[in-house]
Amino acid sequence: MSLEKLSLALIATPGVLFLMLSLVWLLGGDIPERAMSRLTKGAYVFLTLVVSVIYWKMWQTDMHSIRVSLGDWFSVSHYHFPLTILLDRLSLPIVGITIILAGIVGAFSVRYLHRDPGFHRFFLLLHLFTFGALLVFMADSLDLLLAGWEIVGITSVLLISFFQYRPDPVRNALRVFGIYRVADLFMLLAVFLAHHWFKTASWNGMFSGEWPGHVNNLDGPAATVVAVLLVFAASGKSAQGPFCGWLVRAMEGPTPSSAVFYGAISIHAGAYLLLRIEPLLHYSKIATGLVIFIGLTTAVLGTLVHRTCADAKTSLAYASQTQLGLIFAEIGLGWTTFAIIHLISHAVLRTLQFLRSPSMLRDYNRVHAAAGGQIDPTGEHYESLLPKHVQVALYRIALGRGFYDAVVDRFIVMLAVRLAQLLAVFEPRFVSKPAPQPPVAEPVRSPAH
Amino acid sequence: MQQLAAPFITLGIGSLLAGALVSLWVKNARPVAITAALAAFVSFWLSAREVAVAGVARLFDPLLHWFEADALDAAPMAFFAALTLLVLILAPKRDAGSRAVSGMLLLSAATQTAYGAANLAVLAVGWWLTSLPFVLRMFGTDRSQRLSQGFLIVSAVALTTCIMLLHHVEIDELSHAGKLAFGMLILAVVLRKGVFPFHGWILSAFEHGPLLPTVLLFNGHLGALLIARSEAAALPEAAKHALDLLSIAALVTALITSIRSFAETRPRRMLGLLCVSQASFILAGIATANAEGITGALVHWLVVTAASTGLVCIVRVLEVRVSGSSDPAEHLGLAAKAPRLATFFLVCGFALIGLPGTLGYCAEDLLFHGALENHPWLGLALPFATAFNAINLMRLFSILFLGVLPKHVIGIPDALPRERWPLAACMVFLIAGGLFPSAVIHWRAEAAHEIEASFGVHAAQE
Repeated sequence: MSLEKLSLALIATPGVLFLMLSLVWLLGGDIPERAMSRLTKGAYVFLTLVVSVIYWKMWQTDMHSIRVSLGDWFSVSHYHFPLTILLDRLSLPIVGITIILAGIVGAFSVRYLHRDPGFHRFFLLLHLFTFGALLVFMADSLDLLLAGWEIVGITSVLLISFFQYRPDPVRNALRVFGIYRVADLFMLLAVFLAHHWFKTASWNGMFSGEWPGHVNNLDGPAATVVAVLLVFAASGKSAQGPFCGWLVRAMEGPTPSSAVFYGAISIHAGAYLLLRIEPLLHYSKIATGLVIFIGLTTAVLGTLVHRTCADAKTSLAYASQTQLGLIFAEIGLGWTTFAIIHLISHAVLRTLQFLRSPSMLRDYNRVHAAAGGQIDPTGEHYESLLPKHVQVALYRIALGRGFYDAVVDRFIVMLAVRLAQLLAVFEPRFVSKPAPQPPVAEPVRSPAH
Repeated sequence: MQQLAAPFITLGIGSLLAGALVSLWVKNARPVAITAALAAFVSFWLSAREVAVAGVARLFDPLLHWFEADALDAAPMAFFAALTLLVLILAPKRDAGSRAVSGMLLLSAATQTAYGAANLAVLAVGWWLTSLPFVLRMFGTDRSQRLSQGFLIVSAVALTTCIMLLHHVEIDELSHAGKLAFGMLILAVVLRKGVFPFHGWILSAFEHGPLLPTVLLFNGHLGALLIARSEAAALPEAAKHALDLLSIAALVTALITSIRSFAETRPRRMLGLLCVSQASFILAGIATANAEGITGALVHWLVVTAASTGLVCIVRVLEVRVSGSSDPAEHLGLAAKAPRLATFFLVCGFALIGLPGTLGYCAEDLLFHGALENHPWLGLALPFATAFNAINLMRLFSILFLGVLPKHVIGIPDALPRERWPLAACMVFLIAGGLFPSAVIHWRAEAAHEIEASFGVHAAQE
């Protein structure tokens, strides 16, 4: 089988699996847990084999990239939406790690979610997520990347509200979705403005040559605008800078989904985007400075908050945010190889930590016993170097999680709601009259009342 | 004058009218109505097929020459007939009484008359007739429906005035009478489409009115049809500037209604705002005057029609199931009991707001490019409106399907087979269209080309 066909099989398998299983369920079919588990495991073993073969063949033939064009998805007049996928030295390692980690999480979830009412829903969403993530990493244009980007976002939100019968996951999923959509707006605008100003949004059109030696083709202030918009879009997906508040809310989902989304793959999609557009980023000093600033400030805030968190998953979420901040800064500083190594090792380590988090106390006790009943506390040395009042101030900021939610609620959410209420003046008063409700039976009162 | 092989349009409209009449006299009206709607669907589908085979031609009905089918209206006619069929199958028992079913068939026949009209006078007749079932109170006697009835009648009066003036003056002249005629045409569109600040009546209709007939009325998109027809009539330059303003008004409507929804908690109003906002994209797209925008608008027309009907039908069947919470503001947690309805709702909603994997994504992609081309700054309103609508869709979804299940809704059934299959068909259209959009785009490309050509864009480029 040719490399092109293997690449297509790679991206199509989880998508087809999702579509087939969904259709069977929607039309009333019942898929037993065992069948779902075998299908999932089989699919990820197959995908791992495919990606290994692609690796091997590319290494053997010293091939730098595979580009598969499927023609135009649709076209109207001069506008075309190209369906082209790309596997190169940047995307291939990340595709490989995506498949392996998603497979591990899938295998883990078979037991973790055994007899859970949402068992099938979880696996359907896992397949959809894998498809979306592979689309992001294998897209040869911003247009196609955007499609995968949004699929990853929506599956993430649906998994946060996995425990739909509890109010907190529902509320948090809604907030995360809101932040995602606002962040995705930057991506949407970047794509449309790239088309509008440069008549292209494909990697081929935006850059010349192959990664990592590709050269930026876009110039002028318009290139800076597009680069800055993409930096904000990447920040949204990786919970950085102005979008740093959603990650902790996303911990409401089941542990395997936290591992695959916020430890392993989804959270790194922003960093991947920055790596992909690196020449454009470095063309604009504003964009470069912004990436470094966003990365470092988020890393500082993340590490502060992380130290005050009382539960395992929240603590891991802030730890992830800190590392992502550092990866952003590394990309901004042009340390590309280091950033990729950091990204992959962080994804692997964090997945392990998330998957072990339900057993954290047991693990701690085992390590404690193995160390002879004494483990030295860590992480308190640097703080002690600061003056006491600074320590207290930082502690307050950390406890308030940077006061992020308070600021967003007061200056964005409230303003939006107030504006929405003001717009009611354009609707006649009697339009807003509440719909008549059927009479509700009065509760029977005891004679004593 | 080229003609259809058979009087498909007359047959289609005739079967709907006959169904409406018979439904009034039989006890169990639903089977009769479904048969009539099915016959109409087959007729309109055959006429659409013939138009597609014939290419650019306008094909007149051989029996009644004031009906015709062309690239613009043939597909929406077949689509609207399918929609009517879907609504009639899905309608809960309490919405499927003789008068209600007859009213829906009459409404469908009126809309098809407007679609199939070969001239503005017949279109106006269809326009008037769409308000008839509401004026005759075939869907109930709620006084709060008077606002929507008033708007429907005023828009029909505006259109009639426009047509009467056009009999006396040429619109090319742009004399005072010509300007008045054109103003009346724009007024008719603005009122009918619920363009800001006249969107209140649609919200009222969604909130207080009968949901299923309202969605049929809303999805006629006669305002957009009138604008598309006006453009095809090769308007003078000044009139095109006015259409440009209409496009801006539509963009503003899309944005404002999407923001307005943030302050809403009642599902019916949220649904109304969502539908108005997304439907405004159609008008905005048609008035962009470029191929991407117009094609996007025509595809979006189908998406809004299918997706909003799916959403409204689901909300209605849930209202019927959850007695005592006809318009709840608190979470209902229904996904636990009706996961399939929740999934159908999500898919229709995602298609409406243009998420990838659905036809809505392709339509909005084209629309955004077209709008940005036409109004580089105002075009940015569309992505913002879409983002806000997506947030509001999820809010609506969470109110209906997530959260703690109240005690009084413990025993509700999931999608019944009667509901499952039509909703599955709707979903297949939206997803298959999203995976293979070229077929749908090709279906609408000819109409888009005609509208675009009426602006003289091709001539200018060549």
